[in-house]
Amino acid sequence: MTEYKLYYFNGKGRAEVIRLIFAAAGQKYQDIRFEREQWPELKPKTPLGNVPVLEVVQNGKSFKFGQSLSIARYVARKFSLAGRGDEEQAEVEMYGDQVQDLFLELLKIRFEVNEARKNELRKKFQEETLPNSLRVLDGKVAKNGSGYLVASGLTWADLFLFYVLDWLDRRVRSNPRIADWLERRPVTEL
Amino acid sequence: MAEYKLYYFNAKARAEIIRLIFAAAGQKYEDIRFEREQWPEYKQKAPLGQAPFLEVELNGNTFKLGQSVTIARYVARKFNLAGKGDEEQAEVEMYGDQVSDLLNELVKVHFEKDETRQNELRKKFHEEILPNTLKTLDGKIAHNGSGYLVASGLTWADLFLVNILEWLGDKKEAALANFSNLKSLDEKVRSHPRIAEWLEKRPKTEM
Repeated sequence: MTEYKLYYFNGKGRAEVIRLIFAAAGQKYQDIRFEREQWPELKPKTPLGNVPVLEVVQNGKSFKFGQSLSIARYVARKFSLAGRGDEEQAEVEMYGDQVQDLFLELLKIRFEVNEARKNELRKKFQEETLPNSLRVLDGKVAKNGSGYLVASGLTWADLFLFYVLDWLDRRVRSNPRIADWLERRPVTEL
Repeated sequence: MAEYKLYYFNAKARAEIIRLIFAAAGQKYEDIRFEREQWPEYKQKAPLGQAPFLEVELNGNTFKLGQSVTIARYVARKFNLAGKGDEEQAEVEMYGDQVSDLLNELVKVHFEKDETRQNELRKKFHEEILPNTLKTLDGKIAHNGSGYLVASGLTWADLFLVNILEWLGDKKEAALANFSNLKSLDEKVRSHPRIAEWLEKRPKTEM
């Protein structure tokens, strides 16, 4: 019996893709969230001084490692959400890396303090980076037949893409005019 | 029998980790390098419209792959340079991701157009980000007994680390001054016969 413990701040951030994998797999794990004030004390206990960290307890042995995407790939493989066979697995990782590039851009924008620069970055992201990536990914999904990024079905790359689009979706939804329309518009299935 | 074709500009940059893996494995491949003017033509063939990309001919089928670090992981697994067992493989990937983060920081410095900001970023990289990462990695190597990042021996993460140390150019010596385990690893990897051969014969490019 393997036990999993995920350590992160109380936020979605870089841990959420991992939590989505556990959820999709129906796999129990300890979702350990700490407060910012506790971080200085916890940091030296982490493998690389960063979080998220996954601890795996198996046959009395404990294995700890960091880096959100390494953790995502590891658990996805354990729970058959990593694609079928070496080539499809690599294809999934390629999409995972592509989504990560988008995610890192979003983080860069989010944490930019210079207002002028922030607007520049946001403009480039919305007008170039995001549409270009989505166009490529959309084409891949269309080609597949499965409705997912790869032929065999749902993988962690789909979960990661969903997470990033959801982040964007919520930002759009929080725009006052959009929020107002969403409130007022007729409710229909499609 | 699989055939490998690697496509990239005539540069080390983001493709070199892949070339180092092929070299360490003693695995033949076509090291295709195109000029900047030819890129629009090659871009159409690239899985995500980016380079490097890998083309694998396997049992009459062609498989194409993009994203440099994904390609590195794929070929490393094929050639037993990815670590032994699921847990060690994840550990290797963790180090690979950490080195990748460093590389992205260095790229950020390199491409910053605003001079004041570039100097700020460069300072932060060389005084904080780089030494902190090197200190952690140095400690891990010391802990292992193998002289490499993980217990079972040489993996692609060691090659990636040596690759990024190369990117430092004339700043490399100073950066490694306090990290004897990293220095030893760097020397050991660079003098590995197949890697030494590659370093000797590879095309000389600035980046």
